[in-house]
Amino acid sequence: MIHCQALRWGPSGQPLTPSLYLERPRGSLTAIIGANGSGKSSLLKVIGGLQKPLSGTVTLDVPRRGGVSFLPQQQHLDRQFPISLQELVVAGAWGDRHSPAMRNERLRTVLEDWALGGLEQRPLMALSGGELQRALLARLSLTDAPLLLLDEPHAALDEQGQALLWKHIQAWHAEGKTLVVVCHDLAAVRRYVSHTLVVNPSGCTFGRSHDLIAQQPCAGVA
Amino acid sequence: MRRALLGGLVLACSTAPLGVFLILRRMSLIGDAVAHGILPGAALGFWFAGLSLPALTVGGLGAGLGMAGLAAWVTRRTGLREDASLAAIYPISLAAGVLILGVAGKRLDLLHLLFGSALAVDAPTLTGMLWVSGASLIAMAMIYRPLLLDTLDPLFLQTVSRLGPLAHGVFLTLVVLNLVIGFQAIGALMVVGLMMLPAAASRFWSRRLPTLIIIAALLGCLSVWLGLLLSFYFSLPSGPAIVLVAGGLYLLSVIFGPVHGLLRRPPLLTSS
Repeated sequence: MIHCQALRWGPSGQPLTPSLYLERPRGSLTAIIGANGSGKSSLLKVIGGLQKPLSGTVTLDVPRRGGVSFLPQQQHLDRQFPISLQELVVAGAWGDRHSPAMRNERLRTVLEDWALGGLEQRPLMALSGGELQRALLARLSLTDAPLLLLDEPHAALDEQGQALLWKHIQAWHAEGKTLVVVCHDLAAVRRYVSHTLVVNPSGCTFGRSHDLIAQQPCAGVA
Repeated sequence: MRRALLGGLVLACSTAPLGVFLILRRMSLIGDAVAHGILPGAALGFWFAGLSLPALTVGGLGAGLGMAGLAAWVTRRTGLREDASLAAIYPISLAAGVLILGVAGKRLDLLHLLFGSALAVDAPTLTGMLWVSGASLIAMAMIYRPLLLDTLDPLFLQTVSRLGPLAHGVFLTLVVLNLVIGFQAIGALMVVGLMMLPAAASRFWSRRLPTLIIIAALLGCLSVWLGLLLSFYFSLPSGPAIVLVAGGLYLLSVIFGPVHGLLRRPPLLTSS
């Protein structure tokens, strides 16, 4: 599903790590961990084709448009933007071929799934960080893409929200979707995600999460 | 006078959504840069072809788009912030325009070019305004959804559609087109006011985008109507009259608007 060949990436022309070779099969669930500024988010964008690699190639088995769905970090959104939660979520139905009735039904289902019932008409500026994050996740659920790239999906979520998130990630995984998740919550990664890529300036390491993350990660590890 | 009113009203309707989106995209200054940029282009058009609508329009279009493009290019290539490169480009274009007019001989009144004279809108200009306004309203309706998503969350739009850059390009072209057609009626510098002031004012009245656009259009129309009335009865220059009315409406909105207006601030915010 994802093939990275001699991939180098970075924001400003300086590669952040040595060349990366990575193969992930269809239906796999992969976490990306690493220190702040190590290039996790950029790697996710490069995989999704949203940013050009400095060298090397990424090939996906799905079309770039419609095949990939990307969850951005919410601080990139303008919270003052004058639309309602529902208008944000409904963008996930872009380009699908469902009938209007079917679309409404699907919209209602994902809003329920992400515990957003009753907030449909709330303007973005009146949402809490957790509500906005769940709205972005609901939009992602509507897209039906086989490859999901999640950039810090757990950000701003409370304990309940995080439980909901991991429940959905496992459900997507069970449906056969391919997932890549950038995550700082090492305990959750160890518990829910089988394989992990550690991004590090001296070189990336890929392996089983149990081997790469210590039993009780202390704060210093992250 | 009737022609000026009709032209002004349709112009107010078509610039309203453009202004609202310029503010949302944090590109409010682009309007100013383009309006200044139009000046040397229109002056060149005048120099070569005299006072003809097509010449002024083509010159203005080319120069306006050129200025917007130049600013974007300098920003991308050098990492200078866009507002700084825009601020550097206004005085260049303004000075170039004034200089060209000077060289061309003083047959075209500089004040007319800068501040317009709505009372001199002739039939071809009015037809041009109607066409441009109609076309830009239709085009805006067509690119509304991609433009909205491209403004809010360009990365997401990129994953579902390739329309983002196209919507952006069409949008910028519409901005330039409206400014060019508007500068002949109310002046290169004043038409930016008609585009931005109602849009800025509308943010104090609603939290919903379609409502914002409608309110901006209504405020724009009100400014044109009141401004032209004032300029007619008190023989004031029409461009400044229209923009000052729009400015007055903006100040009223800042004070009395229900959304974050000074008098209606929700208690949570005042306690800080």
